[in-house]
Amino acid sequence: MWVYIIRRVLYNIPVFLAIVLLVMVLLRNQDPVPGLLGKNATQQEYDSKRHELGLDRSLLVQYGALLTEIVTFNFDREMWTQSGMTVGEQLRSAIPTSLALTLPALALTTLISICIGMLSAFARGRWLDKTLVFFAVLGMSISFLVYIIFGQYFGSYQLGRLLGRPIFAIHGYEMGWQNWAYYLLLPVLISVIVAMGYDTRFYRAVMVEETQKDYITTARAKGASDRKIMFVHMLRNAMIPIITRIMITLPFLVTGSILLETFFGIPGMGNVLLTAILNNDFPVVEVFAAIFAGMFIVSIILTDVLYALFDPRVRLQ
Amino acid sequence: MLRLPAFIGGICCLAAAGCAPQVGPGGSGEKVAYLSDRTAGPNTLDPVQGSSVYDNRACTMVYQTLLQYKYLRRPLELAPLLLEQMPVVSEDRKVYRFRLKENVFFHDDPCFPDGKGRELVASDFFYSLKRMAQDSNQPKGWWLLKDSIVGFDEYRQQQNDAETFDYDVPVEGLKVINDHEFEIYLKQPLYRFTYVLAMFQTAIIPREAVEHYQTKFARNPVGTGPFRLERWDVGSQLIYVKNPNYWEEYYPADPGINKDGSEPYLGYSADKALGFYVDAGKRLPLVDRVELKFYVQAQPKWLKFRNHELDYTMVPAENFEEAYIKRTAKIRQEFVDKGIRSHAEPLLDMIYIGFNMEDPDFGGYDEKHKWLRQAIALAIDWDEWNEAIYNDLNILYDGPIPPGLEGHPEHHTLSHSYRGPDLPRARKLLAKAGYPDGKGLPKLVYYLSRGEKNPEAAEINQRNLAELGIRLDVRLVDFSTLTDALRNSRAPFFSLAWGSDYPDAENNLQLFYGPYKSPSSNNFNYDRPEYNALYERARVMSPSSERTKLYEQMRDMVIEDAPMIGSMARTRYYLMHERLRNFKPTEDFFNWPKYLNVAE
Amino acid sequence: MISRPISSRLRRLLNTREMRKLRRDKGALCALLVIGCYLLIALAVMSNLISRQDCTQVIGSNGMPGFFLEESRERRFENARTSMLKPVLRALGHPDPKAALADVKLGRWRVAEKSLDELQQITDDAVALRLILNESENLDEEPQFEARLVEFERKTADLIKPLSGWDNFMQNAALLLGTDAQGRSIFFRGVYSIKVAIQIGVVTAIVSVLIGAVLGAAAGYWGGWVDSLIVWLYTTFSSIPNLVLLVVIAYAFTDSDAKDTLLPVYIAFCSTFWIGTCRVIRGETLKLKEQEYIQAAQTAGFGSWRILFRHVLPNTSHLMLINFSLLLIGAIKSEVILSFLGLGVKSQPSWGVMIRDAGNNGDVMTGFFWQIGTATAFMFVLVLAFNILSDALQDAFDPKHL
Repeated sequence: MWVYIIRRVLYNIPVFLAIVLLVMVLLRNQDPVPGLLGKNATQQEYDSKRHELGLDRSLLVQYGALLTEIVTFNFDREMWTQSGMTVGEQLRSAIPTSLALTLPALALTTLISICIGMLSAFARGRWLDKTLVFFAVLGMSISFLVYIIFGQYFGSYQLGRLLGRPIFAIHGYEMGWQNWAYYLLLPVLISVIVAMGYDTRFYRAVMVEETQKDYITTARAKGASDRKIMFVHMLRNAMIPIITRIMITLPFLVTGSILLETFFGIPGMGNVLLTAILNNDFPVVEVFAAIFAGMFIVSIILTDVLYALFDPRVRLQ
Repeated sequence: MLRLPAFIGGICCLAAAGCAPQVGPGGSGEKVAYLSDRTAGPNTLDPVQGSSVYDNRACTMVYQTLLQYKYLRRPLELAPLLLEQMPVVSEDRKVYRFRLKENVFFHDDPCFPDGKGRELVASDFFYSLKRMAQDSNQPKGWWLLKDSIVGFDEYRQQQNDAETFDYDVPVEGLKVINDHEFEIYLKQPLYRFTYVLAMFQTAIIPREAVEHYQTKFARNPVGTGPFRLERWDVGSQLIYVKNPNYWEEYYPADPGINKDGSEPYLGYSADKALGFYVDAGKRLPLVDRVELKFYVQAQPKWLKFRNHELDYTMVPAENFEEAYIKRTAKIRQEFVDKGIRSHAEPLLDMIYIGFNMEDPDFGGYDEKHKWLRQAIALAIDWDEWNEAIYNDLNILYDGPIPPGLEGHPEHHTLSHSYRGPDLPRARKLLAKAGYPDGKGLPKLVYYLSRGEKNPEAAEINQRNLAELGIRLDVRLVDFSTLTDALRNSRAPFFSLAWGSDYPDAENNLQLFYGPYKSPSSNNFNYDRPEYNALYERARVMSPSSERTKLYEQMRDMVIEDAPMIGSMARTRYYLMHERLRNFKPTEDFFNWPKYLNVAE
Repeated sequence: MISRPISSRLRRLLNTREMRKLRRDKGALCALLVIGCYLLIALAVMSNLISRQDCTQVIGSNGMPGFFLEESRERRFENARTSMLKPVLRALGHPDPKAALADVKLGRWRVAEKSLDELQQITDDAVALRLILNESENLDEEPQFEARLVEFERKTADLIKPLSGWDNFMQNAALLLGTDAQGRSIFFRGVYSIKVAIQIGVVTAIVSVLIGAVLGAAAGYWGGWVDSLIVWLYTTFSSIPNLVLLVVIAYAFTDSDAKDTLLPVYIAFCSTFWIGTCRVIRGETLKLKEQEYIQAAQTAGFGSWRILFRHVLPNTSHLMLINFSLLLIGAIKSEVILSFLGLGVKSQPSWGVMIRDAGNNGDVMTGFFWQIGTATAFMFVLVLAFNILSDALQDAFDPKHL
């Protein structure tokens, strides 16, 4: 098994290298120096700044330097748009904030979608199924943005006015467990509502596939109750695709939700990333891309391993 | 089975209900002021690196300059802040003698021995100025001191080329007399030098803090100001607390009505009626804590203000009709009933469109190109621009000098201007220039920064110029690309705004001074010897009617040659809750939070 | 291949088991009808029925509600003041009034054909009425000004030349759903955006499906290093969060010469959307490889490329079709988000641009739902139709779908 893992890691190293290179090349299409120095700088200042930031070296040299940094876990490079703050510090404060938003969202969405998916698959073809699918499709047809704009207005402002005191924050964020619900619950709910359409249909399809299997017919013939069939049999056997899907989604949690964070002013990774891209802050984007790529590859390998553990028919070759 | 999600949902709501943080003043009678800015936050708290108004506001809570503007007096008047008295200026106005206040201490900070802040001395000011010369500090304000102090430009060149920047090397024009007295020698009697001493980039910084914090200095400010930085949540808020060791500064005294019954300054009676002199004579600062919150979007900021979570806000254009009756620009009664007060503050602002005079097709000083530019100027529909984007609230005026300053035309208009929209006249001029209906003209490349309303503005201008037959190639770019294009003279036609750094038209007229061509602030690359001569004469004069005449001549030259089409000045509308006292909104200086008080 | 006439080929196609199933699905047929309507509208827009000018010119005052709803007195005053009165006043004060008046326009409205004296009289009356009305503190709460207001409105309307026929219809249609913050027609902008959305959707979906299908088939068919390479390629691309990749690519174009066109959008979308199709086609190709007729073709000595294009790909065409519809939806929705961030469509109206304007202007907060409502509604119907259609396609062709 370890041989398998090592072989997979080696196989995926080119993927990692390619991701980092791709990001670097795309970023360098824009010149960050004028924005950093302002309107009154001289050519000399520009050149010295460019030298200081290391932009006058060839792309390969910069690439090599970045990789060395990542491999030695050295995140002390300074950000370009915020003096005095290192990339490491910025990521350290932004990532947990994003996770505080995306983890609960993922958990809630998965829980609710699995339940609805199961219900739907079980009542396949009948009116309950049709209604649920219909609403899922409806939900999928509205833009994320519209949910956010209306959610912020009705869920936060109007609700607060109705009840006389603010229940959900309109905007902003403060660290601390006691503040979580006030600042993040509304974005989490919006996130759940948006994702439910897709997820419900996915889980429904998985469950439908399960219902068509023989062991369900056997169980029914043996007189097992509906609930037992659903939870004990279907769920267990459907675990594999469910877990696969969750595992693949995990690294993306770290990115946070760019739109939600921008709208609600949550200083999470998505917000930081968007600001960094639009302001040409290369270190932040590059280091984050490298970290993310690493996590992604780890999650792929983990998924394969878990898959093998769950299903003995899969042999790791 | 469905019970599970419902159960979870219920718990969440209960948790939410219990979790709303306390809004309003902190416990135990602490006085807190809740301010906000429409930005993602300052990039730095190092005055030398700052350039935007947000950097300004954030820094001036903690740092102080030698001079400040008097809070309540209008028109603006400079007064000593860290000085005992205004600087004594020699006859030829090239030597300035300063006397620092005594017993002014820096904040208590770990960078000092025993953590106790030491007294401010003269050499601190020179140290701060020298920091503005060091390139590795990424200074954005060097242009303020460029070519003014004797020996300073040479010092800068020398030290930047050397291995390390040595702050102890003396500069000829910076002379320390003793701990509290010093002199500065200028190369020429530039009038604006006094204004520079009030600008936040020249704020005084202790050497120990820079040496202790090194690169982290931008996040650990140590100054002499009335507040200390408690916390900076990047992208979210800055929290300041009262400086317990703040030197003795007092709220301005009530000047009272003059003996002859006239007002001591413009607007005195209104200030008195609003209770701005109730706290006269009290020791500053008056509040214990200031929370400065950042909002990138206008809507959340506005809603927080309506919710009483912010003490004041600028009214976003889109909410203007919610709070005011557009027809009269007066605040609505329901707002007044809630104790909200309104204040309209015209800005020293210049929103304009510029030409690159070195462009082969659209630049040039000969008549043909001049008529071309004038024709374009006449096609721009300022009314529509004003109406669509600024709710018709801006002041439209002719020339580069903003309202309120010497040289501004009476009633904002001049008969000899080329203010649009005036299509018939534009067509005539265009034909005269040899391009009837725009035939034979290449596309005009138009650069704008990607601000919120700029795409709409670009569309409006594009439509209006199309009436003339001129095609605009609109390029919406981010601000750094725009800056780059202007520095390299790549932008033939561009939209910008210039906010005055100090209340003197020289600040706007220097934008057309030949030697300041790209890559300096003269984005128009306008270089006319007659204009340059006038400017050089005017900038060493103190305010007088002769100087105003020179300003007017320069203004008229700019209008006729049309390197710039304009202009417009914004008016900010502020709304504030009853709770906030002593607030007189201004965007000309930002160190006023020390005067604020809150009612309990 | 035996050649047959097109019509009988078509009949055979429509009579396959899958197509018959599709034809029975009422929902799918409805969806198809809706999509057809949208396509017709898009074609109409492309042939200049609603031009770009219709979308950018000012046709009324800002923020007018749709369906010609009655507005408050203050708003009616604003509407009347900013309609013809303002530009006509300015024109009359010009040294050459006739020439200046000829330039005055508000949408399709022009100045009434009256003599200069008559126009002067009307404007004088209007200005006098405006002075009286300006004495009020708040027109909405002072009903005594109603009569004067009506007179003011009538006077300003007198300045407008009455329209007839097509122009009248278009001017009314323009005001059907109100105006946005700049005074432009929401209805026209919403309809124009249909063309933009379909254009982006179709181009992106076709290109992405083609790239994905060819690469996927190649990977599946040849295996070996080709397969490894392509799998490596799409693993790399799919490992960057979708939106981040779109933002980075779209932003990389912001200073290039192409940035005003839709090219950055196309490139950004195609670079991210080909992956899904590639995976699916690759999987299908792997299955097809074992089929007898492929092996027969190989034995017969047909070249690999020929087998690929004449045997493999046509048999995956149902998957390509399904992916096409899914990607079209994805493109429309992603365009909205990109335009919202300022990186998508730049110089044309589109649903994303409309929602962005609505968001930036705080429309929802001030209770003005027309702009965001129109964009959302138009988009919702189209996306819903495509969702139903792609569901039906999947049910018919790929019953084991996800």
